[in-house]
Amino acid sequence: MGKDLSKVRNIGISAHIDSGKTTLTERILFYTNRIHAIHEVRGKDGVGAKMDSMELEKERGITIQSAATYASWKDVDINIIDTPGHVDFTIEVERALRVLDGAILVLCSVGGVQSQSITVSRQMARYRVPRIAFVNKCDRTGANPARVTEQLRDKLELNAHLMQLPIGLEGDFEGLVDLITMKAIYFDGENGEILREEAIPADMAAEAEEKREALLEEISMFSEELMESLLEGGDIDPQLIHDAVRQGTLALEFTPVFVGSAYKNKGIQPLLDAVSSYLPCPTDVVNHALDLEDDEKEFPVSNDPDDKLIMLAFKLEDGRYGQLTYVRTYQGMLKKGDTVYNSRTGKKVKIGRLVRMHADEMEEIDSCGPGDIVALFGVDCASGDTFTAEGISASMSSMHIPEPVISLAVIPVDNKAQNNMSKALNRFTKEDPTFRTYVDHETGETIISGMGELHLDVYIERMKREYSAAVEVGAPQVAYRETITMQAAFDYIHKKQTGGSGQYGRVAGYLEPLEEGEYEFVDEIVGGVIPREFIPSCDKGFQKSMAKGSLCGAAITGVRAVINDGNSHSVDSSDVAFQLAAQGAFKEAYMKAKPVIMEPIMKVAVEGPTEFQGAVMGSLNQRRGMIIGTMEEGNYTVVEAEVPLSEMFGYSTTLRSLTQGKAEFTMEFATFKQVPKSVSEELVKKFQEEKRND
Amino acid sequence: MGKEDLISSNPLRVLGLDNKAEEGRQSLGLVMARAGLGKTAILVQIALDSMLRGNRVLHVAIGETIDKTRDRYDDILAKMVEDLNEEAESDLSRRRMIMTFKENVFSRAMLEERLQDLIEQDVFKPDCLIIDGYDFDGNGRQAMEDLKQLMAELGISVIWFSAVSHREDPRVSADGVPAPCHTIDDLFEVVLLINPQDNVMKLDILRCAYCEVEPGTALLLDPSTMLIQKS
Repeated sequence: MGKDLSKVRNIGISAHIDSGKTTLTERILFYTNRIHAIHEVRGKDGVGAKMDSMELEKERGITIQSAATYASWKDVDINIIDTPGHVDFTIEVERALRVLDGAILVLCSVGGVQSQSITVSRQMARYRVPRIAFVNKCDRTGANPARVTEQLRDKLELNAHLMQLPIGLEGDFEGLVDLITMKAIYFDGENGEILREEAIPADMAAEAEEKREALLEEISMFSEELMESLLEGGDIDPQLIHDAVRQGTLALEFTPVFVGSAYKNKGIQPLLDAVSSYLPCPTDVVNHALDLEDDEKEFPVSNDPDDKLIMLAFKLEDGRYGQLTYVRTYQGMLKKGDTVYNSRTGKKVKIGRLVRMHADEMEEIDSCGPGDIVALFGVDCASGDTFTAEGISASMSSMHIPEPVISLAVIPVDNKAQNNMSKALNRFTKEDPTFRTYVDHETGETIISGMGELHLDVYIERMKREYSAAVEVGAPQVAYRETITMQAAFDYIHKKQTGGSGQYGRVAGYLEPLEEGEYEFVDEIVGGVIPREFIPSCDKGFQKSMAKGSLCGAAITGVRAVINDGNSHSVDSSDVAFQLAAQGAFKEAYMKAKPVIMEPIMKVAVEGPTEFQGAVMGSLNQRRGMIIGTMEEGNYTVVEAEVPLSEMFGYSTTLRSLTQGKAEFTMEFATFKQVPKSVSEELVKKFQEEKRND
Repeated sequence: MGKEDLISSNPLRVLGLDNKAEEGRQSLGLVMARAGLGKTAILVQIALDSMLRGNRVLHVAIGETIDKTRDRYDDILAKMVEDLNEEAESDLSRRRMIMTFKENVFSRAMLEERLQDLIEQDVFKPDCLIIDGYDFDGNGRQAMEDLKQLMAELGISVIWFSAVSHREDPRVSADGVPAPCHTIDDLFEVVLLINPQDNVMKLDILRCAYCEVEPGTALLLDPSTMLIQKS
């Protein structure tokens, strides 16, 4: 018999950078007896928080790679994924959300709902992840959990309600009032490990009563029993309240908000109780797999340990002992020594060692079942691969993976660095699908591309630190694209006669803009004027042409190539001849199809004190930014704009000096847009010069 | 439908405000309705019409988010025009800016400060202002006259407001403008009222200083799209 899945929680901890989620995770591990001492993220003891296991993370005080860990609170097993707060690493957040059943959204009680919280919330909505909110840092100057709760409602459109009231705020933050038990809770002992329940302070009684009433009224929407009980009057069974909050949370219609200060060891244990009470267990959530034998038809996974195994590899790490693969099991059991199949490659894989991860420490286990998050040793696979038992051909649905928007050249300083760099790049591309690498055949340079400057910076640092690959780095390059804007016909003959068998192929048709997608090939040949065996050659020829446009050398996208006529020769026609004919045809039609250059546009949100709003808008305006709008809340303003990525290099320095370091910004890829004429002319000119110099 | 057709066929033409704006005259417009009947949808159509005519519109949304306001524009534009090319869409977006305020934060002084910022930094100089969610209960005639003065100072030709009327409040002005705007209706050149009747949504023209139709005439609203139509 498998374990009781109602006692399992797979949760993520997501938030804006510096909201204190790593500290929160550290405290959770402490109170669940997984660690026995507390270290701060940027602590003086030099140990660093347990979850920030990568050296670089310790140095920068930010969480880059999400580390999975396991904790046990009362009778509930909790698997926690700590996720990065910077938007450049959202693939990590997205991956975590893919395998998690619920999440804690951590917010700073001073900063409130910041732009990254909005991004994370959007991601959670995409994966339908129920969440509870934790308003952290109530001990900080300016703390205002009520305002943050209001922001959760206004900005994130969550039906958020405080489940607790803080007793004192800022330096006077002492404890909290639980609006369900109507007791005050204080956190005693050196590390807040002793909970002391008292009566609600007299000066808060009326407010607590009022807030409780409002809360009960709201959550009674999710439980008829609670509503009846409220109408009848008298005492309300706390379990009825818990059940209603849970129902509302699971239906994504209610977000309970908790308060505390992880740093001051306050409010963590009640938060853990809330994780157990309100967040879903694996069977509360319906996950789907794709049946590879039935045209990828979706079917729900069973969570049954007796069914055939389906599990998803959602994260890879290169540890001290080789590759570590984090997996989530959706159905069936996996035992040490079992053989499983990788659905993507079809390869058999023997599971040697199974471990439960606790940041960078591990615990050997013999088996795992539905809902478990564990790590495998020595399994060669890529992130996102599905493993199954023999006799079942299924894959977990694919993840939404954004295209890279920035690239730069990395040049190893010597041969040793060259080898190490190859190893590092091989690892990183397996770990992170948004990180890509290729060799530019014209320059011979290795190019890496990703989601932003910081994203690439971190990998370059990791190359140096973890792989001793000393590399020089080129200037960041924006990933421009070329596309066509109108239909243009071609009729091209490739003919070569240089003794022996020649080359002959004629293709005719047209290119036209493709609304959605990168490329489409349409074969409208009738009567066999181009023999069937050479049709794929034409397709191949067109695709080769798409790799590099003739305007600025960028990849071409959004083209439909249609062939409707042609000719062949019984002796001289060949695969190569038709490939070359297609390439010639493409070249002939491309310039006639009025090609344009497209550039990545980023959605930028700058948050800071209102006094700097004018300067911030001016700075975005100067960068060809289009200000979408401003959002004003008292002394704090958010400016949202769409700005070309090429204009955003070095913006953090500009912003810092403009606002005395008081504003911050986040950006994420929004769309590709045509570059203005002046920029286009400059790019074309630069490309022509480069070509001349080659 | 091309841009020119969209402009010329727009039922809002009958209000005659655009000609007056071209003559340099400042006007105030008001859209009233009970809560939830679609005032914002009307304001957005007025804004889009202004943008299509080449004006820059600043949409001040009080108590609303940027994303939600932007979505309103996208939705209504998609209903008005089926295939708008990317260039035209981008051009239109550049003619609009959204400014959101919390209900308790908005004031004339703050709006003036923000507008000065925009103009001084050469970010955006609006021709038309849309103020959605203005508190008419808490602000009287003087506040409205202050705003009119601000228009003159900053060269804004028209400001459109929305106001909520209440079924249980019977007060109306001589022109039929309901409370809370019944005592200041003389300050507005145009007042429109969304008036649901049986299965028809009417947009009554209560006041119209430069109207090309008789006051008392109504426009119609398509109840499914909330697009303004000629009656």
